[in-house]
Amino acid sequence: MIKQVTQPILEIHDLTVSYDQSPVLWNVDFSLPAGKLIGILGPNGAGKSTLIKAIMGLIEPNSGYVKIFDQDLDKVRNKISYVPQRESVDWNFPASVLDVVLMGTYGKLGLFKRPGKKERELALSCLEKVGMTAYVHRQISELSGGQQQRVFIARALAQEADLYLMDEPFAGVDMNTETAIFNLLQEMSQSGKTVIVVHHDIYSAVNYFDWFIMLNLHLVASGPKNEVVTEELLRKTYGGKLNLLSKVSELIRQKEFNPLKD
Amino acid sequence: MEDFLYFFSFQDASIAFVVLGITLLGIGSAFVGTFSFLDNKALLGDAISHAILPGICLGFMLAGEKNPFFIVGGAIASGGLATYLTSWLKDNTKLSEDSIIAVVLSVFFGIGIVFLTIIQKSGNPEMAGLNQFIFGNAIGIVERDLWIYGGLSIGIIGVLVFMLKEFQILVFNPDFGKALGLPMHHIRLVFNILIILAVVIGIQAIGVVLMAALLITPGAAARFWTDRLKTLLILAAVFAIISGIFGTYISYTLPQMPTGPWVVVILSFIALLSFLFAPKKGILFRFYHRKKYIDKTQRDHVLKSIYKAEELGKPALSLEELTHIYPHQKQAIKNSIKELEKEGQLFINQNLIKLTKPGKMEAKRIVRLHRLWELYLNEYMNIAPDHVHESAEKLEHLLTPELEALLETRLNFPRLDPHQETIPRDHDDI
Repeated sequence: MIKQVTQPILEIHDLTVSYDQSPVLWNVDFSLPAGKLIGILGPNGAGKSTLIKAIMGLIEPNSGYVKIFDQDLDKVRNKISYVPQRESVDWNFPASVLDVVLMGTYGKLGLFKRPGKKERELALSCLEKVGMTAYVHRQISELSGGQQQRVFIARALAQEADLYLMDEPFAGVDMNTETAIFNLLQEMSQSGKTVIVVHHDIYSAVNYFDWFIMLNLHLVASGPKNEVVTEELLRKTYGGKLNLLSKVSELIRQKEFNPLKD
Repeated sequence: MEDFLYFFSFQDASIAFVVLGITLLGIGSAFVGTFSFLDNKALLGDAISHAILPGICLGFMLAGEKNPFFIVGGAIASGGLATYLTSWLKDNTKLSEDSIIAVVLSVFFGIGIVFLTIIQKSGNPEMAGLNQFIFGNAIGIVERDLWIYGGLSIGIIGVLVFMLKEFQILVFNPDFGKALGLPMHHIRLVFNILIILAVVIGIQAIGVVLMAALLITPGAAARFWTDRLKTLLILAAVFAIISGIFGTYISYTLPQMPTGPWVVVILSFIALLSFLFAPKKGILFRFYHRKKYIDKTQRDHVLKSIYKAEELGKPALSLEELTHIYPHQKQAIKNSIKELEKEGQLFINQNLIKLTKPGKMEAKRIVRLHRLWELYLNEYMNIAPDHVHESAEKLEHLLTPELEALLETRLNFPRLDPHQETIPRDHDDI
């Protein structure tokens, strides 16, 4: 069940991605409407983060392409905001909460320019939106997991984008923070922003999102909630990997080179 | 002393040159080194500094003398080749980064030593100075060297200050930088060039073998003192300057002494002091806080024991009875009693220890926390009553008034703990 849309905000065409010798996404092809809160679902190792990274141009795909606002990624970078996984950085880095949120403004600032008063005010207002005003000057290593997530989301807000890609923003977060973040995301999508979120918990996901992408190495489904949240599709997503696909992956891993690369 | 005054009054122009050179070099290498330390790439600096030796020798062979332009040019070329080789091997083999660095370091250094031996055998009278590049000799810096080493240092400092924001994101979260559309690949390239240059400027003063220490140690030592990037950079630079100048001073007073090892000795000493005495992260500070906490737990235990005796209808305890409860901590218990008496929490009357009013309040608070926690473990976590004591023994010293209030409301102001003992409150009396 893959529902394509007209005038998509994001179009992914026949995307295949591998890490070294292991293919992690097979021929993924979908398109997404604007102004929706979209969840990417799938079991561990299904390629959810890989999909986000491929969209952001952080991994080179073997084949296929991504179009955002009907353009190449590099032309629209400043309209896209990115929240990486919390574990992907070293939180012992000597920086305050404000320092990290200011990084969100670096894209619009461009090279060599320093953030000034305008950027500071923007960063502070973003921190307010995620309820972290009391922690502005806190050293980032002293934050809890949930607070670190909020800081990352504030940084993404400071990018002032139209499309938001978030990699597991609910991981390691307590119930209160989860609700607070979710309410914020909902507000954003209601004001016309598109928010794409990698999420691992299918029970809460059903309440949160209005459009779903279901992945399990290949695309299982992409469509509005009422059409794709079915027992059959969920079973296809979470009920183990396709046996044949795993065998082909194994075959490729044993080669000395990756035949999927052009 | 005379030497000291002569050296530090800078009346000798050549000493002023040397000190200026070592100061600039210190700032430059500390800045670059702090970033590569934060980037967990400390070993890369070591590999590059060893890898520039063959370049130095080739530069010397081509020029036929100790010409700084040829030598710096050769050093940059072989440092660049080593850096490129390191990243190429990483991308194209399955070797781990530390093995690659070890291989590159030893291969280049080995070739460098071979070249050095060839030059020595050639009998070139200029070659005497070349040995200095191994362990460094800051006194050998002359005006011509200062122009090139000092100029490069200023260049490095300038680029780092100018691109602080870019390097910050390169180290903290390069993927995010790429997502922002910043040319992270080029920023990484600029940073690698800066590492090579930072190593090259140190070859005359510090030498190739120990240059990595001047890169990494200042930042590592400064990290104990601060959590702010700018303060960290400034502090690292100060440490590098201090050790640079004193190292130079020592090789000035003792002419046979190479500079590099002395700089490293002083730097290591600064690092040791930081490790011991820095607030929050220093080992003594942490030790002191632990000791303070243990002392408090012992005082808490004394108060609690007397209170429990009171519960059983015994209004005071003798010292012997108290130490009998904690047989392994006799001295500590005695100290705690003295301390508590001074604080007015208990008083001693004919060898009998009794709680004062504030002492009793405090004792009740500790016992209350202990029993509330036991009840919480029992009710909310389904832990059997005979398993909850150990945890409560620890938590009774830690729980804050806010958590106490939360426990009270969650448990709905209970009267008895899981062992059917009364949970004491301020207003009830025994």
